Amino acid sequence: MAPTLYMMPPSPPVRAVLITAKSIGLDLELKQLNLRRGDHKTPEYLKLNPQHTVPTLVDDDGFVLWDSHAIMVYLLSKYAKDDSLYPQDLRKRAVIDQRMHFDSGVAFAVFLRILYPLIYGEKKTITSEDTKAAEEVYSFLEAFLEGRQWLTGDFVTIADYSLIATTSSLNVLVKIDPVKYPKLTAWVKNVEKLPAYEANKPGLEKFIGYVKSILG
Amino acid sequence: MAPVLYVTHLTPPVRAVLMTAKTIDLDLELKKLNVEKREHKNSEFLKLNPQHTVPTLVDNDFVLWDSHAIMAYLVSKYAKDDSLYPNDLKQRAIVNQRMHFENGVAFPELLKILYPIIHDGKKTITQEDEIAADEVYSFLEAFLDGKQWITGDSVTIADYSLITTITALNVLVKIDHVVFPNLNTWMKKLEQLPVYEANRKGLDSYTTHVKLLLR
Repeated sequence: MAPTLYMMPPSPPVRAVLITAKSIGLDLELKQLNLRRGDHKTPEYLKLNPQHTVPTLVDDDGFVLWDSHAIMVYLLSKYAKDDSLYPQDLRKRAVIDQRMHFDSGVAFAVFLRILYPLIYGEKKTITSEDTKAAEEVYSFLEAFLEGRQWLTGDFVTIADYSLIATTSSLNVLVKIDPVKYPKLTAWVKNVEKLPAYEANKPGLEKFIGYVKSILG
Repeated sequence: MAPVLYVTHLTPPVRAVLMTAKTIDLDLELKKLNVEKREHKNSEFLKLNPQHTVPTLVDNDFVLWDSHAIMAYLVSKYAKDDSLYPNDLKQRAIVNQRMHFENGVAFPELLKILYPIIHDGKKTITQEDEIAADEVYSFLEAFLDGKQWITGDSVTIADYSLITTITALNVLVKIDHVVFPNLNTWMKKLEQLPVYEANRKGLDSYTTHVKLLLR
């Protein structure tokens, strides 16, 4: 039986998990939640995940896990044929961990901070403060990519998946300037060429449509 | 040669690494950065860590930042056993989830309340601040349901990561013992660990600092 993933397609962390699953050829049974309907706050879902976030994984033996980064590590360690996406090597792994925590603590946090007031109708435009915050994220990524093809070195890892899902979405809100951020721009193009990137596309398209409906 | 850790004393993530090092008996050479003098933005430090955060670890020729990544690395490399960061897939997965909760939810809430106090001269804790902190506490209360420690029956780096942030948040918005009994018990148990001493000094100076600003 395939592991179950509670999800909604536009969510970047959900897409990061979908990219991971696709790249290791793992089938997931997807269960879509409608957050507007409050599907994530039902007693059954809160019992699974009291933090009521997506994605939430329920593995075939009933093991429940949330947080995209934790899920990606778990799925790879359990289902992948090799360790290339999350190497056993201590130092390589440590840098991937750092990048993933940069995603949860900085990049994704900034993304939500810009997005929430738009979702809740508190504003209709991207402010200069928003632009500044997003640009700071881009400048960090530009620095991380110094002398590297991928975010942590010479090979693709789940840090790339995690950050492409967030960055491609942040880019919808605040465009990445290719002149200011040439390495970041090249990296985005490289990731987009990966076959597994297909898993990011449908959700990203939905997200783009959603943002356009708010910003006009 | 002992690994070097760039620190400031007030910050919870530094204290989480200090607790980890103390638990596994690892000597660290501490280098204090003076943030007011913008030492974290000078060119040498930016070369080490372009994200200019503390803690930053230099272990021989290897540079690493982010407290969670540092804790996992130090335990994997220097600890005698894996109890603080279990090799077991599922146990480790839960530790990772809790640390990303700390990083993505708890710590940003702390910063959101703290920054206006430090930078804009804000003197009061607003109702909004209280609601935000209470939400963090209620998540932790739920995580602790049926568990002795934050991930299960043994102490892990997720406990260290969260106790340093929660004790700092508690200075701003007091944890209500009646509303959050699991959380209260968990804190008391952590405070009784010998290794908790590594949190105390930084927390005490942070507490004094914050109380002065709020006066």
